[in-house]
Amino acid sequence: MSEPLLVLDNVTKNYGAIEALKGISFSIGKGEVVALLGDNGAGKSTLVKIIAGGLEPTSGRMLFEGKEFLARSPAEAKAAGIETVYQDLSLCTNVDVVANFFMGREITRKVLGVPVLDERAMEAVVSKALANAGTRIPSLRTNVEHLSGGQRQAIELNRFVHWGGKLVLLDEPFAALGVEQTRRGLDMIRQVANQGIGVVIITHIMQQAFQVADRIVVIRQGVVAGDVARNKTSPDAVINMITGETLAGAGPAG
Amino acid sequence: MNPSTRHVLEFILDNLVWFMLVFVLVVFSLFIPSYFQLGIFANIIEASSVLGVMSIGLALVIIAGHMDLSVESVAALSAMSVGILFCSSGIGLGIQLHPEWLMVPVSLLLALAVGGLIGAFNGFLVVKVKMSAFIITLASYIWVRGLVLVISGGRSAQDLAPAIRWFGIQRLIGLPLTAWIAIACFVVFSLIMAKTPFGRHLVMIGGNETATFRAGIRVNRNLIIAFVLAGAIAGLAGWLLAIRTSGASANLGAGFLFNAFAAVVIGGVSLKGGVGTLPGVYAGVLLLSAINTAINLMGLPANFTLVIHGLLVLAAVLLDAFKQTIRQKLA
Repeated sequence: MSEPLLVLDNVTKNYGAIEALKGISFSIGKGEVVALLGDNGAGKSTLVKIIAGGLEPTSGRMLFEGKEFLARSPAEAKAAGIETVYQDLSLCTNVDVVANFFMGREITRKVLGVPVLDERAMEAVVSKALANAGTRIPSLRTNVEHLSGGQRQAIELNRFVHWGGKLVLLDEPFAALGVEQTRRGLDMIRQVANQGIGVVIITHIMQQAFQVADRIVVIRQGVVAGDVARNKTSPDAVINMITGETLAGAGPAG
Repeated sequence: MNPSTRHVLEFILDNLVWFMLVFVLVVFSLFIPSYFQLGIFANIIEASSVLGVMSIGLALVIIAGHMDLSVESVAALSAMSVGILFCSSGIGLGIQLHPEWLMVPVSLLLALAVGGLIGAFNGFLVVKVKMSAFIITLASYIWVRGLVLVISGGRSAQDLAPAIRWFGIQRLIGLPLTAWIAIACFVVFSLIMAKTPFGRHLVMIGGNETATFRAGIRVNRNLIIAFVLAGAIAGLAGWLLAIRTSGASANLGAGFLFNAFAAVVIGGVSLKGGVGTLPGVYAGVLLLSAINTAINLMGLPANFTLVIHGLLVLAAVLLDAFKQTIRQKLA
């Protein structure tokens, strides 16, 4: 594995008496794609939220680029270079594609000292980014409420590809995509990883995990139940880790 | 549905209030004798300045997905504060500043500060303590009005200092300066909402607060600013109200809240947040004012006004729901 980008060290999260995460430790390298697998309620989304600044861990620590790291808000995580695509889409359907693409990072120019949105510059950037990714959206000035589920997800994916950062977290990013768009999405992930960006992708679909990931991390009941290189394991072995037929921490099987 | 039909329909929905305004003005001009005069139209604009300014603040908060019921009482408190200090009869203390023009910025700052403080209080409770804006601002609506009664003892202040009243008397192209102040507010805040990141963020927060938070927008900060602005703008409305009535009485501005509410909703701002523009709100205010003027000209007893306003609010909310249904069909 290349130089670690993010290291999680015994991260836990309790909701009252419930231990959602009982101590998660693993690491993500630069340019590495890690697929995070696990059954419903295993704690995957909780973990992503902790890295992305949406939740604070109960205990444990994280190292980002070798330095102690804790994001208290999504803004802090973003400032550190962590981009997140959530399971439930994070789009404002009441504004247009351009506004969504630049949400919180608008290009402005000063008019009499007041920051004013530079719509033309933003539209140019968005149309270039979407064209590069091969996404076709009829008008960038359409409010997102008029777009299909696939188009919306494409906007989210293009957004993270464009902004990049250092680490990208994807929580079931392909749930609403068709076959062709999913293939393109997986290509995008590889393309992003090739730029040296670390990627964590949560998915339920074994095939996707094996198509795109370098490493597969399985979480079961709040602990890491398996952490194996993709080429040293098989879908069957991973399924066993998810359902718990293999002992926690067991390495390559099958 | 083909795209061009959809565009036309959306354009009509987005600007419905302007069509209604033109329609109402044409109908009144045709059927009410002496309605079609420049003086009447100037009067419509003039009469809508206080309501218009108040509606701006209310609209900002509603667009951001919240609610501010306190604007009317805040305006009354600001007006009463200005009245007590700068009126010379009634409960007015008749404070004189030299030079006289100094009373203008001092009274204006006082009104803005009173409003801004109550807005900050509302915003803090809504955003930090995470209580419902409806309940918090309903409470403010009541206690702030109570405060007006307490500081005035139920009495009124008359004869506002001439230096301040000058804004209500001096005319520019047929309109008093107070009306120009309202128009300027609409222009400035329309530009802020449409052209600056702050305005864009408020609209997006109203649309999907979670998404904006995840995108790193400082949602809490923006919302508190929106509440402070709503309060300060209501304070400005109170200042204009004090000028217009040349003083302040304990029940000053009573009923404005519902008119402002009606104007905002008629103006195309959705109560669900995230939808609406300030030029539309201005059209809504003018529409209400045009109807009021018609009631006056037709010589209907003033008692009917409340009934008509109530029905208008109802119509506006129904219209909002109806528009959402159409939009869903368009989507």
